[in-house]
Amino acid sequence: MTKDVMMPQESMHTVQSYEQELEQLRSLINKMGGMVERQVAQAITAVVEHDEVAALDAPEMDPHVDELERQTEALVIRLLALRAPMAGDLREVVAALKMSGDLERIGDCAASIARRAMRNELLSCPISLTGLHSMGRLVQENLRRTIDAMDQRDPELARIVWQSDTAVDELYVSLFRELVTYMMEDPRNIGPCTHLLFIAKNLERIGDHATNISERVYYSVTGSILPIIRPRGGTFD
Amino acid sequence: MNTVLMGNRPAQAQSAPAIAIRNLDFWYGENHALRGISLDFPTRQVTGMIGPSGCGKSTLLRILNRMYDLYPGQRAMGEVLFDGRNILSPGIDVNVLRSRIGMVFQKPTPFPMSIYDNIAFGVRLHERLSRAEMDQRVENVLRRVALWGEVKDRLNASAAALSGGQQQRLCIARTIATRPEIILLDEPTSALDPISTARIEELLDELKQEFSIAIVTHNLQQAARCADRVAFFYMGELVEVDTADKMFTAPHEKRTQDYITGRFG
Repeated sequence: MTKDVMMPQESMHTVQSYEQELEQLRSLINKMGGMVERQVAQAITAVVEHDEVAALDAPEMDPHVDELERQTEALVIRLLALRAPMAGDLREVVAALKMSGDLERIGDCAASIARRAMRNELLSCPISLTGLHSMGRLVQENLRRTIDAMDQRDPELARIVWQSDTAVDELYVSLFRELVTYMMEDPRNIGPCTHLLFIAKNLERIGDHATNISERVYYSVTGSILPIIRPRGGTFD
Repeated sequence: MNTVLMGNRPAQAQSAPAIAIRNLDFWYGENHALRGISLDFPTRQVTGMIGPSGCGKSTLLRILNRMYDLYPGQRAMGEVLFDGRNILSPGIDVNVLRSRIGMVFQKPTPFPMSIYDNIAFGVRLHERLSRAEMDQRVENVLRRVALWGEVKDRLNASAAALSGGQQQRLCIARTIATRPEIILLDEPTSALDPISTARIEELLDELKQEFSIAIVTHNLQQAARCADRVAFFYMGELVEVDTADKMFTAPHEKRTQDYITGRFG
């Protein structure tokens, strides 16, 4: 049912300044997406490679992301008030507002991860970071594809990424169990493991925000809503 | 898959439609103005008709009460079913039909007579009422269009002295005074200021408790605000009809999408 309801918007607005404002909105969101993607990449590098520059860089980008979110919000309000968008335009404008919120939260999570990366407990940590590394890679990959789906207005790609968050959830649950086991084995592990848990939790949150964005992209382009209940991976029983 | 975001009005009305159009074609001389139209007007709902100028929406509205009879060289084929009869058939009494299907036009068209007589005039054609009954009828319809308070002390003054918005409400009062089942409105607010427009829209909301309403409008926001269902016409064809929610958030057809988002050249 996706094909026949997809409405590629190659036709242009009769009012050109309206078209320009929609273009401006798209470019703001894309810029935000790119910035946040880099923030997440640096946060993960900071943790797994103990990279000090990356650790400092990720939080420093936060104010810029916040500024882009504010600009997006102002433009959306302007568009709603002055253009009264309808149908596909309305969906796109509202989706942009929601997506900018999710992107901003992703940036926060990345900054939070990066701020923990250089903690002494972690630098001298005897615990293998392999699990966290693969989770980070997966989250990063999903985020990249989400942002591609957003840039290209590709609902099929959005739907695929939306489903693949299941694997992130599963990795998170298994990582959680592993870290709790270390903490029970030796109380000296509690410090580093707590930081790692928060990092894992933040990665998991980034995955969730990415799925929210996929849902917006899908609805914005097709006008159909993905099922409310997303396939979920991993439970804590 | 659920595609309706807000509300869940069924796309088809539950009860029998007030008017059912079946395979309607219409010509002005050589001009094929409407092509193969099939459309239901649900009972006690507002059906909005939108589309660019010349798309056939006003023609369709005029067919519903045989106003098109006035045009030379016209020809209609198909069926327009109202109360079990095809109103296109020659045996229909057009005067009775127009008292049952009332019409309000773009520009307020009060008769050059008093406010009171503007309403009483049409009623007298169809009913014999005593003076007291007529007074009652006039007051009742003026109250329904929220005009009573503004004119009750000058019912014998000329209707021409009223403001545009008041005149249009008077025209609606005049239309409902003959107790029609259906009200047709052809861009009823395009000549009115925003406050008068809001009053008319509020009035439609109330009138649909009792009447079935068809409204032609160029104002898409108005269609979105007032109509339960919206039909989009383009070059004599009915492109799409659905709930207002669906039409303005996620229309099915590309042509609908292009028109309502302002992308038509």
